[in-house]
Order: sequence, then C-alpha cells, then structure tokens
Amino acid sequence: MTDPSEKALGRRTFLRIAGALGVVAGCSPKAATQKVIPFLVPPDDIVPGTPLYYRTVCRECPAGCGVTARTREGRAVKLEGNPEDPIGRGALCARGQAGIQALYAPDRFKGPMRRGADGRLAPVGWDEAEDALSKALVAAREKGPGAIRMVTRPEPGSAGAFQEAFMRAVGGAAEDRLVLDPFDPAPLRAAGEALFSRTEIPVYDLTRARSIVSFGADFLETWLSPVEYARQLAEGRGRVGEDRTRLTWVSPRLSLTGYSADGWLRARAGGELAVALGLLRWLADPANGVPGLAPEARALFPRLAALDPAELSRRAGVPWAGIERLGRELALRRPSALLGPGQSSQGPDATQLAAVIMLLNVALGNLWQTVYYGLDPQEDPPSPFAEVESLVADMAAGRVQVLLVHHADPAGTLPAALRAGEALGKVPLVVSFGDRPDPTTSRAHLVLPDHHALEAWGDVTPRLGVVNLCQPAMTPLADTRAAGQVLLEVGAKLPFPAAHFPWPDFYDYTQTRAQMYAMVALGKFPDLMAIQRDALQRGGYWSYQLPARKEMPDLLRGAAERFLSLPPSPPPEGGDLDLVVFPTVLRGDGRGADLPWRREVPDTVSSLSWIPWAELSPATARRLGVATGDRVSVTTSAGRAELQAYVYPGLRDDAVALPLGGPEALAVLPPVRDGGSGAIAFRSARAAVARAGRGKPLPILEGSPYQHGREIVRTVSAAAPALRRPDLSHLMYREPEHPTHRWGMAIDLDRCTGCQACVVACFAENNVPVMGPEAASQGRYMGWIRMERYLGDEPGGELEVNLLPMLCQQCTNAPCEPVCPVYATYHTAEGLNAQVYNRCVGTRYCSNNCPYKVRTFNWRDAQFPKPLQMQLNPDVTVRSKGVMEKCTFCVQRIRYAENQARDEGRPVRDGEIVPACAQTCPAQAIAFGDLHDPGSRVSRLAGEKRGFGALEELNTRPAITYLARVREKEEP
Amino acid sequence: MSLSFERLQATVRATHGRPGRGYWILLSLSAALAAWGGWAYSLIVRNGLVLTGLERPGGWGNLITDFVFWVGIAHSGTLISAILFLFRAKFRTAVYRVAEMMTVFAVMTAGLYPIFHLGRPWFAYWLFPYPNERGIWVNFRSPLIWDVFAISTYFIVSTVFLLVGVAPDAAALRDGATGWRRKLYGLLAFGWRGTDEQWRHYTRAYLFFAAFATPLVVSVHSVVSWDFAVSILPGWHSTLFPPYFVAGAILSGVAMVIVILVPLRRWLHLEEIITPHHLDMLSRLVLLTSLIVTYSYSTEILTALGEPASDPERSTFLYRMTGDYAPLFWLMVTCNCVGPALLLSGKVRRSIPAIFAISLLVNVGMWLERFNIVVTSLAHDRLPFDWRVYTPTWVEWAMTFGAFGWFFFWFLVGLKVLPPVSIAEMKEDLAHAAHASGEVAHAG
Repeated sequence: MTDPSEKALGRRTFLRIAGALGVVAGCSPKAATQKVIPFLVPPDDIVPGTPLYYRTVCRECPAGCGVTARTREGRAVKLEGNPEDPIGRGALCARGQAGIQALYAPDRFKGPMRRGADGRLAPVGWDEAEDALSKALVAAREKGPGAIRMVTRPEPGSAGAFQEAFMRAVGGAAEDRLVLDPFDPAPLRAAGEALFSRTEIPVYDLTRARSIVSFGADFLETWLSPVEYARQLAEGRGRVGEDRTRLTWVSPRLSLTGYSADGWLRARAGGELAVALGLLRWLADPANGVPGLAPEARALFPRLAALDPAELSRRAGVPWAGIERLGRELALRRPSALLGPGQSSQGPDATQLAAVIMLLNVALGNLWQTVYYGLDPQEDPPSPFAEVESLVADMAAGRVQVLLVHHADPAGTLPAALRAGEALGKVPLVVSFGDRPDPTTSRAHLVLPDHHALEAWGDVTPRLGVVNLCQPAMTPLADTRAAGQVLLEVGAKLPFPAAHFPWPDFYDYTQTRAQMYAMVALGKFPDLMAIQRDALQRGGYWSYQLPARKEMPDLLRGAAERFLSLPPSPPPEGGDLDLVVFPTVLRGDGRGADLPWRREVPDTVSSLSWIPWAELSPATARRLGVATGDRVSVTTSAGRAELQAYVYPGLRDDAVALPLGGPEALAVLPPVRDGGSGAIAFRSARAAVARAGRGKPLPILEGSPYQHGREIVRTVSAAAPALRRPDLSHLMYREPEHPTHRWGMAIDLDRCTGCQACVVACFAENNVPVMGPEAASQGRYMGWIRMERYLGDEPGGELEVNLLPMLCQQCTNAPCEPVCPVYATYHTAEGLNAQVYNRCVGTRYCSNNCPYKVRTFNWRDAQFPKPLQMQLNPDVTVRSKGVMEKCTFCVQRIRYAENQARDEGRPVRDGEIVPACAQTCPAQAIAFGDLHDPGSRVSRLAGEKRGFGALEELNTRPAITYLARVREKEEP
Repeated sequence: MSLSFERLQATVRATHGRPGRGYWILLSLSAALAAWGGWAYSLIVRNGLVLTGLERPGGWGNLITDFVFWVGIAHSGTLISAILFLFRAKFRTAVYRVAEMMTVFAVMTAGLYPIFHLGRPWFAYWLFPYPNERGIWVNFRSPLIWDVFAISTYFIVSTVFLLVGVAPDAAALRDGATGWRRKLYGLLAFGWRGTDEQWRHYTRAYLFFAAFATPLVVSVHSVVSWDFAVSILPGWHSTLFPPYFVAGAILSGVAMVIVILVPLRRWLHLEEIITPHHLDMLSRLVLLTSLIVTYSYSTEILTALGEPASDPERSTFLYRMTGDYAPLFWLMVTCNCVGPALLLSGKVRRSIPAIFAISLLVNVGMWLERFNIVVTSLAHDRLPFDWRVYTPTWVEWAMTFGAFGWFFFWFLVGLKVLPPVSIAEMKEDLAHAAHASGEVAHAG
C-alpha cells in the first residue's frame, strides 16, 4: 500500500501501469500478428529470401509460351520465359510480362458473386452458387436443344476437353460450345483447306529466311507466335552480309513490325491482294526468267497473265516498279517467307489474300523451309465466325437460357455492330468464370471466378508435340475455384448420369489426361510419376520436331485458279479515308487491356499511353485542320468514335488508323465478313474524319520525334559497315578504376524490334510505380527504360524510323555524379552508377545534368493499391516521394549472383547475371556481362565495328554499346 | 540648404514614429502574401513536388529562378555598401543603409529556396558538413554545396556588416528612445559611447568588412552561376556565366534599390536626404550593368549561331528566340536592354517616374532572364525525344510572390526598427561639406 502522500511512483503503481500499457500495446493494430512470412514451420525447401521457381504457361494469347514464375515467400513476383520451352525459349513479350498484375488486381472477384435484385453483384457461397447453376441447367435442358450454350477462349488442353465433355453431358451439341478468338486467323485456315485440303494454321520458322515479306501481319507484335518470330528474325539478322534477312512490310500503315523492315511498300488498304497477285504474276512470268520456281506456280501463269499490271498497280496504290523490285528480291533470296494476312489486312478478301500468299510460298519453294503444315495440333480451334453470329442471334431471339462464359468477352471484343452486349442482356442466366470485371461480366448474373493461370493446374497444347503444363505458383489469393472443378461439382448435382464424372476433382482429371498422353507418346508403361514430375519441373511434355519433307502438302489440282482474279473494287462509300485498324501488343484484343502496366507503358509507334488515338498522315491532318492532340470524330457506316488525333507520317494520306483492343475501333467496324472464311473483316470500312475540338493534354512520351541532324541513332550499311567513333584518348583526369568487374551491356539495334517487353519486365522487377494518365501528360512517367523512337531527321523529311532503347548508361564519367550535393549517386567499384535512395534529398541536379535524361523523380508517393503491393520485388526498395531513381542494371541480380558465386567459391560466370530487360527480350537484343572479361559475350559485341555509344562525344564513357542497325538504301 | 545634425537626427527618428495606416496595410499585405506562399509550400511538403509543373526533363523551374533572382537582388546591396565605400563614392551615403537591409533580407529570402525545391526538405541539413555517424562528408565537388558555403558566408558577412554599421546609429537613437526600443537599440549599439577609441575601431572594422564583403559580391554570384556553368547542358555550359551573372545581379539589385527608394523617400519624408542626384547615380549603374548584360546576351547568341545547324547549343539558342518561350525571351530583352538604354538620356535619368518604371521593368526582365536560362536549356536538351515544355503551376507562383511578401514584410519591419539612413555617415558628410564651404556644422 503506497503512502498517499508519496509523490514518487510506487512499485505497485508502476506494475499496474506497465501491465495496462502492455495490454494496450497488444491491442494496437501494429502489434497484431502480421503474416509477413506465411509459415510458422516452413517446409524444408522454403527459405525466406530465396526465390522458388515454378514452370507454367502464359495464357495471355494463343501462342502459349512457357513461363517461369519466380515466387518469394509464397507469392509470385515476376514472370520470365521458360528457357527450355520450344516456343518462347526463355523470352516473354510485354503482354505476358504484364499478366502477373491480373493476379493481384484490386478489382479481382474475391469469391462467387450473384447479381441481386438491385442489379449489383453480392457475394454468395460456392454451394449456393453451384446449386443455382445446376437448377438453371436442369430447367434449360427441358427447353430443348441450344438452350445451354458456352462461349470460351481457345482451350487446347484439359480445360477445353472437359468443357466439351460437360456440354455433351448436359445434352448440348458440339456447336453449342463456341470458341471465341477475336483475332482468329481463320482466313489462313480457309486458304489451307482450299489449296491443300488442310484446315490448319501453318507454322512459320523464319530462321532460314533470307527474305521476309509481311502483308500486314504484325508477326513481331501479336500475330500467331510473336516471341518466336522475333527470335527467328534476330537470328536472321545475325547473319552478316548478303545472308542477312531482309524484311519488307506491305501495308498502308508502318506498324511496329514495319519498323524492323528494310523496305515499306505503301500499299493502300485493301491493296495487299493486288500486290500479292502482282508478285505472283511477275514471278510466274517466264519472261522474267525466275529460276527454281515450283512447276505448279509456272502453270498458273496463263491465268495470271490476264491480270493487267497497270490495273494491279492502281489497285495496290503502289508503282509497278516497286512490285517488280520485290519480285526480283524474292527471286534471288531463297528461302523466303511470305506472311499474312494480319488483322489490319484482314478484309473481305482475306482468304484470297491468304491463298495467294501461300501460293507465293509454294512457288518459291518455301514449304518445308520456312512454312510448315502438319504442326497445328487442331485442338480446340476457334469456331467459325458464322457460329459466333448465330449465337448472338439466338441470344437476341431469346433462345438461350443459360450462357456459360469462360475467359471470353463477347460484349467487349466483338464489333459493336453485332450488338452482342444487347443480346447478352436477353439471356436469363449468364454465368461468368472470369476473375475480373469486364463488359461481359457486367451483364453476368452469376460470377464463379476461376483461378488465375498462376494459381491453377492445367495444360495447353499450342503446337503438335508441345504440351505445356500449368501448375500453381502459389495458393489462390481469393476464394476462387478452377472452372473445371466447378463444372465437375455442378455435374455431380445434375440428374443426368452422363454428368456424373468419375474424377474426384479437376486436378485428377488433368493428371489422368497427362498419364494417357505420356503412355501414348512413350509407348510402353514406364514410371509415370517420375515422368510427370520431370515434365512439371521442365514445363511440359515436348516431343516437338519439324515434319519430314514428304509430309508437306501438295497443291490440289485446280485449287489455285479461283484465287487468281482481282475482285471488283468496292464502291467508295462512308467517307473519303480508308479505315485501318491495327492490333498492338499491349492492348491485344482488349481482354486485360486495362491492367496498369499495359496502359502505362507507351505504345512504341505513337508514344501514347492510357488512351486510344486516331492516326492521320501530316497531309491529311493539314487538310482537316487537325493537330496532334485535337479531338477528331471518325464516322463509318457502322458508327462513330471520338478520339484524340496523332499526326503520323507512317500512314498513307488516304487512310485513318485506329488501334484495336478497345471499344473505339469496335464501334466503327461494320459487320463485313471475309467471303472465304466468314471471319470479321477488320479492313473494309471507309471513314469520314472531322475535327471535333481541342483535346486534353496528351499522355505522350515523345518531345520531338526527329533527330535534327544530331546523328543520335547511327546506322551502318553494306557500303559503310564500320562506324567512326570520336577519339577520346586524351583525358585530363584519371578515370575511375574497376579492379574486379566492370558491368556493361551491348544492345543490338538490328535485332531490337521495339516491342517494349523489356520495359514491362523492368516495371515488374524493380517496383517501378505506375503514375497514371495525368502524370504521363505532364512528363512524369517513371519507366527506367524507354524506347526512344525517331521518325527521321527533320519534320517533313524522309521517313527513316530508328529505335533506341534508352536506359541509364552507367557512365564511367557520369555527369550526374559530381553534381549531387549529398553523394546519393556515386560510382561503384564495379562500374555501376549507384543511386542511394535513402540519401537522396531530391535536388534533381543529377537529372538535369544527365544528357540521356534517364533519371526519373518521384514527384509524389507511389501508390500500389492492395493487393498489387504483393507483386513488389522484396529485393528492391520501394522509393518514397522526393527521391530520384533510375536503372541499376538490376543490381539486386548482380549481388545475388556474386553472393552465390562467393558461397560456392567460384568466380561469376558469363551469362549468369541477366538483368530483367535482357532476360525477357524475344530478340535477345540485350547482352549483359563483364567488360573486363575479354571472353564474355558483351565484350565481344562491344568490340564490333558497328558499335557506338549514345552521345559518346560528351565523353561520358557509357557502359552500354549500341550496335548500329544495318540499313540498305533502296534503289530508286 | 544645409541640413543640421539635429534636423538629420530628427528626420531619421521620425521615420520610426507611429506607423500610419498605409504602413499597416502594406505590412498586412506582405504578411498575407508570405502566408499564402507558405501555405502553398506546405502542400508540397505534404504531397510532394507533384503540385509543381516540374517534370522530366524540366527538373528546375520557378523555384530555382527565384533563388538566383533573390541572390542577385542581394548583391547590389553589398555593392553599394561595400564596394562604393572602398571607391569613396559620394552618392552612396544616403542610400546604402536601405541597400544593406535589402541585402540581408534578400539573402534570407534566397536561402529559403534551396530548401523549398528539395524533394525531401526535412533532410536539408545533410547539405551541411557536420560530423555524423555515417562518416560521410558532403560532396564538395557539387556546385550546390558551393552554394551552401557561398550563401551562408554571404549571409553571415552581410548581417555582421549591417550590424557593425548600425552600431553608432543605434547609439544615437538609443539616447532618445524609451521602452522596448531603448532595449533594442541598447543591444544593437554594443555599448557604444562615441569615444575616439571606439570610432577608430569602428572605422577599421567597417573598412575590414567592406573589404571582406567586396569579393563576395563577385564570388557569391559566380558560385551561383556555376550551378549552371559547370553542368553540360547546352545554354548552361558557358565560361561567360560568372561575369554575366554578376553583372545581371548588380543590374537587378540596383533596379530593386531604385524601386524601393522612390516610394520610400516619399513616405518617410527623406526627400532631402535621398536626392534625385542619388537616383541619377544609381540609374547610371543600371545603365552600365545593362550594357554588360546586353553584351553577354549578344556574345552567347552570336557564338551559338556560328555553330553548324545540328549543334545542340545553336539549337537551344534558336529555341530561346523562336520556340515555346520566345515571347518571354523578347520581353526580357525589352526590359533588360531596351529599357535601360533610355537612361543614356540625362532627361530620362532626372525623371523619377521614368527611372522607377524602367527599374521595375528591369526587375521583371531579370526574373525572366533566370527563367529563360534555367527552363529553356532543360526543355531543349540533347535528345529531341525528351524535349518538353515546363509550365509553372499556381503553387509555384504562390511561392514566387510569397517570397516578395516575405521580403517586404521583413523590410518593412526593418524600416521601423533600424535607421533607414546612416546617421553617423551622413553627419560625417555634412561636416565635411560644411568644412569645405567654410560653414560650421550645427552640432546642436
């Protein structure tokens, strides 16, 4: 008992207070248990701080590249290609790199949802949801055939097979399950069927091609298998001299793929067919004496001779001399590869165009050199577009009772003229397995969210002999369930015996299929468990090989003739400009185009981010009184879209171009189809364009897209293959010494396609914040690596597009280092220019003094809305406002490799350290290594005679050597 | 007519009389302006520099322009106090006190900006070399650190110079003051009793500080100009900058002195002490420095235009004259070169409204000059892909005008506290003049 008169703190009082404080501290939010490390007693193979890698598949497009998911402490933080995957071979495109954000998207459905009477989605339990669905299915079955329909993305694997089984079990016919791929290359399939009786997509291997001609097929961006083609083209570019692959781009618009081209044949929209026919005519003409032409092609000349070159040239919008020149090139440079059509050239004559292009390949003997039939697995091919339309018609007529939607977005990816959204509204029960809101899900009554690809089991067969396996890289974040699992469980509730499948769960189903596949592939009955384990570790079952020559199809007799006449010119109505719509790698077909990285990273051609745009040529813009940034209305017979304009010299004067992957292009596409395949004709419309007022400031990255005579991006040619570099041998000051390593890079501009995969990979690896459209319009984009794109030397001058991936050059004489007042940036002993975030006070002098402007400043705190912060790389600091940041050559990877090497008592090997940008580049354009090691790949490349340093005359001594692009001036 | 000592003292003491309504209005306006600027800055501290118009590549804008502007203003004060003292320029006596006060308060204003423009201003003390457990010095190679030393030195020296000079005047005022003023003047007088010994020490000390402050006029603004000159940006990287900036500083500072003196002499009834002759002399300084500045502009432009067309330096100068900021460039030339050229005419120099207007325009022009240098070079650097136009936001303008509010607030306070004219030196001048003309100065 303390003396009440005592002023000092007695013992009991102290303990009482301390105890109370302890309880209060325990109750405070800070003291609450934080699940920093998910395990109390982790399994042996999980060490906090050490990454675990899981091999799985990218599901962003049908190419099906294998990926490796790097996980830390039980969550996936980065996607990289699977080096053993025969398609991607370790690379991953920009779209694939951004896919991980869908896993952590804040608007992801947390569990099953049902739309209530108030029209809003509310959470519901899985059992209740599945009961509701099974009841609806039973009721629908009684309404007769066609009442239960499914629309899905292509699922060439277990998921698709099970869906088919399920639909059969509920009494549906095969066509009740619609496989929707808005970018389905149906014309290619139709051409194959007509010419060879092979209803399949050919597989292209561009490695051996000496000459590639692409008719609007953006094979380096979205067409078929862009990661693979970029690598193959890069290999072709690696051959020095005469054997270096030449690429010609035939299109009204110079797309990103066209930037890699050595020549651009400016065919008018719809004129690609005339060009192809003209080429075929020229090659088959005996007067031109083209050697080694396939006899079936020569036999076509009598029909081709009926085509008038002048008429062909007029329809093509290209002088006949240009077609002749291309013909001469193709005649000499063998083998070649002719590709097309792509989405932008897919018009009402798409099948004919595909057929003529294939005939050109046949004529030049490209089959079995660069074009292969027999590799299409033909598993779950997209449904003919006529079936898509009949589904929409059935929905609108009220004939569909239950629609199951699986990772497809008919309302958001089909042309508005089809009124798919309206038709969806007439379906009493729309069930979506999607995991994020999209235009279709906003009309769904029941949402049963599927796992993200990184949380799920499955398999994908993109090519014959390639079965890529999906496995979960982490436990599901939300209360999601595999769609196949849901169908299994729903099936069990149905009163139809066929729907009571024998497998306990979907995983079991995938395993059974895998076992069957392994048995078929391997013949006898080996240790399946071991084989399956190995396949999962590798990434798949691969027995991929090119078919034998004799398996190449022969041209069917009389099949080619009907493709050899020029269809009549369409009447010019609806406007005075041709409407060109083009896909971009970041927007794709529109699904997932709203993920932050896909919107923040600028499009290479326009350097715009966040918004769609309408491209006009300078002459057209002048005529219409439009400047870049003004709003314009684009009106076709189908509808109207209002967008901000971008004046682009890489477009014909008679065209206006809009990007696909959003509602704007879909609003103006008329419901025209390709006659041969029934596919959507993306290219058919004529548009009227008018200025609609001033626009908001554009979220644009470029200042001036011209070099103004400064020779920033240098090029070489066959005539002048070596670059003269400034003589900087006389220095006043002692250069910094690098006693051990000196890290450096070599970037080959002849290989770089400008696809921005490196940019997205850098965002993912280095916790670079997304700042939004307003910040982008103010020049506050935070990307550490950017694609500088120069259109030429002066405005109005010759168009020569040069790309320069610009990142911190880690200069030996860095101008940023001496000017920082607090030593927040300094030169490390290994040659890096280090940025110490917690020392930076933010004077921004370093950025001012950097001639490359590669330093980005945090004008405000970065925001990573939950749960996007789970994607953050724990090895890299998250910077606060007021701090400068820039590329570090992925110093965290350098340190990791050095630590590994030291632990193992060996030196760091060349190729062991791969920064994120170099790792993902589909063209392998970026090499990283030790410049002090004369045997390293980067040293060898840096010493090449076409190497140069950016702005090297400033004596900054950049650690990055660019290898100049090889350009050939076209003969007049 | 000759002024007696008594008249002089009375006039000066009268300036410290009860402030009139005009004074309070001006003081409140200044305080409000300063508070608005301060509030705008608090938004930046909370949210980051996102509220400015700064971007990549324009990392510096209004705030650094203001910084250089205020350092420039500060310099002419010391020029008038110290350098003209060493040259025994007669006309300096009446005006140098105001100029000195202007110097100190301008340096106080300028010193705010290196903190304001930081991304993490709570670590501004890292720019000072203090012993720390990290064992790390500041980067002495950085011009921003040279700034720290230069501005701090200049502030300390100017303040001490001012206070040393004020000591005898404070003593003069102390004897007639009551209350808090008596205490304040007592402090500022440092126990001045007016003995011969003290006068000798005073004159020596004053001479020493004048000599010490003189090179600072040249060095401090040269150091500030090196913020730009030692970088590699086209338009910044130039050996011309130190003399160019110093001349510009004198130009803007003397113009500011004129702008302050013209209304001041009217309101404080100092017309007999600060005469049109003094203003004429100051105008000649404006003319001289304006000619140097004009020469500097011409040198830079002609040198740049002589380069080949692809040269970035040439491109930047053409951009200044014909690009996005061209109107500001030509306004600057009008204010700094054309306006002051009118001062060649004696008639113009004797017209007080004319020199007031020209000086006001010079201040605008000199602010625009710093803006032109800082912003256009950043907006138009070596990689055309990264060219971008910087536009200040209301937050930056609030801070720019808020600084004027801050400056004038302290200046107005200083007017009522410190003697605006040097009583001691004026008395000395009067005595010399009387002696020269045979009169005996009235000491009564």
